[in-house]
Amino acid sequence: MERRFPFLTANARVAVRLTLVLILVAIVLAVARGPVAVGQTTLNGLVAAGYFSLGAVGLTLVFGSLRIINFAHGDLLTLGAYVTLGISAIGLPFWPAAALAIAATAGIALVLDRIVWEPMRRKRASTLQLFLVAIGLAMVIRYTIQFFAGSQPRSVGQDVLSAIVVGPFHLGALQGLALIVGVAAATLVGLGLAFTPFGKKIRALADDVALAEVSGVDTRRMIRLVWLVAGGLAALAGVLYAAAVGSVNPNFGFLILLSLFTAAVLGGIGNAYGALAGGLIVGLAQEWSTLFFNARWKPVVGFAILIVMLLVMPRGIFGSGRARS
Amino acid sequence: MKPKTTNASEPILALETVGKRFGGLRAVEGASFAVATGSITALIGPNGAGKTTVFDLISGYERPDTGAIRFEGRRIDGLASHSIAKGGVVRTFQLTRVFAAMSVRDNMLIGAQRQAGESLPRLVFGPKSVKRAEEAAQARADALMRAFALDRKADDYAGSLSGGQRKLLEFARALMTEPRLVLLDEPMAGVNRALGASLLDEVERLRREQGMTFLFIEHDIDIVMRRADYVIAMAEGAVIAEGPPALIRRDPRVIDAYLGRKGAVA
Amino acid sequence: MSFLDADFWIGVGVTAGVYAIFALGLQLNVGFTGLINLGQAGFMAIGAYAMGMLVVDAGWPLLLALPAAILVAIVAGALVGLPTLRLRADYFGIVTIAFSEIVRYALQNAAFTGGNQGVLGFDGGWREFQAWASNELSPIGLGGTIQLPLLIAVWATLLICLAALTILQRSPWGRVLKAIREDEDAAAALGKNVFAFKLQSLGIAAALAAVAGFFLALNVTYLYPSEFDPSFTFFGYAALILGGFASYGGVVAGAIILCALTEGLRFLDLPLSSSQSGSLRFIIVGLVLIILAMFRPQGLLGSKAEMQLRS
Repeated sequence: MERRFPFLTANARVAVRLTLVLILVAIVLAVARGPVAVGQTTLNGLVAAGYFSLGAVGLTLVFGSLRIINFAHGDLLTLGAYVTLGISAIGLPFWPAAALAIAATAGIALVLDRIVWEPMRRKRASTLQLFLVAIGLAMVIRYTIQFFAGSQPRSVGQDVLSAIVVGPFHLGALQGLALIVGVAAATLVGLGLAFTPFGKKIRALADDVALAEVSGVDTRRMIRLVWLVAGGLAALAGVLYAAAVGSVNPNFGFLILLSLFTAAVLGGIGNAYGALAGGLIVGLAQEWSTLFFNARWKPVVGFAILIVMLLVMPRGIFGSGRARS
Repeated sequence: MKPKTTNASEPILALETVGKRFGGLRAVEGASFAVATGSITALIGPNGAGKTTVFDLISGYERPDTGAIRFEGRRIDGLASHSIAKGGVVRTFQLTRVFAAMSVRDNMLIGAQRQAGESLPRLVFGPKSVKRAEEAAQARADALMRAFALDRKADDYAGSLSGGQRKLLEFARALMTEPRLVLLDEPMAGVNRALGASLLDEVERLRREQGMTFLFIEHDIDIVMRRADYVIAMAEGAVIAEGPPALIRRDPRVIDAYLGRKGAVA
Repeated sequence: MSFLDADFWIGVGVTAGVYAIFALGLQLNVGFTGLINLGQAGFMAIGAYAMGMLVVDAGWPLLLALPAAILVAIVAGALVGLPTLRLRADYFGIVTIAFSEIVRYALQNAAFTGGNQGVLGFDGGWREFQAWASNELSPIGLGGTIQLPLLIAVWATLLICLAALTILQRSPWGRVLKAIREDEDAAAALGKNVFAFKLQSLGIAAALAAVAGFFLALNVTYLYPSEFDPSFTFFGYAALILGGFASYGGVVAGAIILCALTEGLRFLDLPLSSSQSGSLRFIIVGLVLIILAMFRPQGLLGSKAEMQLRS
């Protein structure tokens, strides 16, 4: 088992420890604030974890394999959500529209690599250049969306008022759907990463490009697949966000970008499993914080975790594989 | 004829069982040696022996995991590299590191120590002292540039110099810091014989006239034989032998370490 | 609105001046120290709000509030820099954005800062001065335009800062900064305390951001948190890349070009709503960033040779 799934075993051990810690924290919180409140916020946290995890996976894969901190990634979430709304406005039901939007966003991510990122790689662009390009790209995507869709928040248009009530816990119908889809997607992604040959290659690539190349991985082809996956998952995350929150505005993707960074750093940049776990931690942390602080401070929790992690444990909870220069 | 090694009672540099690992790799292990004040000491060993790592540890670029490093009797391990440099130990790098987008003269001026103009408060409140320090530094820089035939290139970008000239610049710049111990990492690499010889002549002159100590990493055994007073041999992270060149060349452990090279150390 | 409307262009001039002062700090960090400071808007917010609250809540006169605000911003710069300056360049960038956003959220949600409603009423002293100045300027025919005193104040300050920074750059201090940007390990090996220099650089940039914030506040006459979001910093970087990363004069030129570009759009009679025009402005700035970063990283006015030597 050790040899066939070296990544899985090491990560699995940390994952088990992490789960235990989270359960422990939940128990402590339940004692302090009551089990119902904790249960409700945990539920909300899991909903949020869905889009944080999926958004973070794309971010971390791109950083791991291409060393790009893609500031435009958040806007791919926005793109996914808005394209979904656009397509469903012309008649298609929500989820099929979402599927199309996911495909479209994945394609756009790939095209952007071809016309922007790949030329930068060939020119051996500096960190500053990459930042500026990413920032510019983020602006262009975000404000093109705003140009066509306006800056006012848009309701998702679905039945946002009906709720599922189970005992003392309640969840909006759409939120519940987002939760189920989010958990399912995250699980599928995790399994896919662990067991499919594609998943293994992508993990190897994100972990150590040089080594992957030497091991016979076709890096050019894999990089294209990384962008497709990153773009697709980002779009899905955007759709889940839209479903969970009930409305979208052109800035939402950029605004949660820092939380996505937090999730990616928590999990160890370049570690795709880690991103999934990181998203869970960020989602739970933000929602649990509402037991003590006003909900307006939720994003600040993410930022604070990000700063602390980068200062104290930049390699994340799961570590980012081999030591990086 | 080589002058006798200055017989100072205490070595200028002493390593005591210094160790450093990088992940699973033990780069340096249990390394102990001493460098006599005013000597020209060579550090030799096959690739991967840990020589550059030793330089990194002495200069503060890396921190040793175990052991102690003493300069002029005081411990310097664990100090920041800029403190160590200010304290009198300067190093050059294996791959020359000049400031390419700055002029040769500016490169030199960076080496100046106790520069009043580098302190913000003094810039604002003591412009006269700033001017004096700057003029003094300019004078020293001009003198050193002349000594190394770089004065005609003083206003050119350092990046436009040839490889050999960059080596000289790096060396001259190091001397600007008024060091007492100079660590030269492969000073002859990529340099033609004539230039290399003049660089080493300069080293000997500085030792003779100013009592500067030099510790240099070198692969060319010929040079080691002719120019070094003392040799420290390393292999696989440990010090395997030390002594005057003539003895080292015949030391079986050293020959062993170089096994595979034609004619061993001869 | 006519193309020749003086009030409009004076307003643009004020905005350009504010961006220029803001971006001077960025240039010190990015172009001359090699620090990718993405949190400059956060320092600006701190400076502007410190000034606003001192004047409105504590009754300080405007002219005393400015140096106090600068001091607060410098302290913030030091507090941010102390733990973060040893991070590698890209992580430093992320941390500074996180800092900037924390400041924004804090200003939005904390009770004492007036929240989203913002801070009003700090410009009483300034309006008095403006009235006086307009009076003085009437004899020479310039009394009509309201913003002219502000324009003069901003640009006078800008030129003073420009001169000071240029002198600083030519000093031994500036030389060390250049060396650090080139190769900080080599600089340390020559005895330079790299961390201390970086901290000073960040502190000065924070001070400049506070000055920019001061004038921004006087220009818009009330403070609200969403003004100080990362987009402001990104616009600052656009000014930087337009003017090139190698000079302070270039920054001023870049800021002017940027503002002329974005404000000049109003005169193209495009069939767009005002919200769409607003979006178009951002799209153009984004394109400027992408195209210049890809094809002319030394900036419109920078020299390719020096850029190549730098990398």
